[in-house]
Amino acid sequence: MTEFLEKVGLTSQMFTSIIITIVLCVLAIIAGKRIQTIPSGFQNIVEMSIEKLYGFFEGVMGKYLCKKYFPLIATFFIYILFSNYIGLLPAAGHVPGLAAPTSTVNCTAAMALVAFIAMIGIGIYEHHGLGYFKHWFEPFVFLFPLMVLEDLVKPVSLTLRLYGNVFGEETVATAFFNMVPIGLPVIMQLLAVLMSLIQAFVFALLAAIYITEACPEEEHL
Amino acid sequence: MGLVALGAALAIGLACIGPGVGQGLAAAKALEGMARQPEVAGMLRTNMILAFAFMESLAIYGLLLAFLLYAKL
Repeated sequence: MTEFLEKVGLTSQMFTSIIITIVLCVLAIIAGKRIQTIPSGFQNIVEMSIEKLYGFFEGVMGKYLCKKYFPLIATFFIYILFSNYIGLLPAAGHVPGLAAPTSTVNCTAAMALVAFIAMIGIGIYEHHGLGYFKHWFEPFVFLFPLMVLEDLVKPVSLTLRLYGNVFGEETVATAFFNMVPIGLPVIMQLLAVLMSLIQAFVFALLAAIYITEACPEEEHL
Repeated sequence: MGLVALGAALAIGLACIGPGVGQGLAAAKALEGMARQPEVAGMLRTNMILAFAFMESLAIYGLLLAFLLYAKL
């Protein structure tokens, strides 16, 4: 399996992220194929979870922004959640081609860059012009370097937080496994179930807050 | 060699002190607020997790440095 992946030029993480993308696309197509007014079965489950997510982010971002940019945020959340949980599958560390995509810095950096560019793009769009960059010179002009630095640090901290959490947790689980193979790793795996959800949640929440901060106050929209 | 190992251990050990204390304080205050006003518990929980994320990233920087040093061993 590893040789095959190497021959094609894919790493294990790329392989899993492609699988996750395909699975999510298929699930979305199945759920949205025959939309009924009175949902049943699978459509019911999907609708309920998306509605819960929407309700939460509406409270964070406000009605107008949430309606417009919810798809981006929800995509972050769902993709990271699936990526984190694929590392929990049995033998995920031993079978090559089954590693969590978020356990490599490339994947998280790409997502953080998308969030960063979205933040600036949406900020410029919602301010109808370059008025967005005014906040770099407020409240004082001489704080300019500090404000720019504050913006530039955002994608870096998003990247390192997610990567460090997932990678660190996997490393600790491996260390536990090497010490006591039976029993002890289960504790770490249980913790990982909780941590994966929280990390996906934190990434999406921070992206939502950054986008909200980049936009003018709700009354001015 | 020995100094690098010591550095790796210190990097994660020292980096955990600050966020540990900070998260404890934040959780204590948030729980106090939830006990006083259970009706805002949901909002408090969200903000608490958000604050945790910021504090935790400091510990994560230490962890990454520890891994970098560990790779040098």
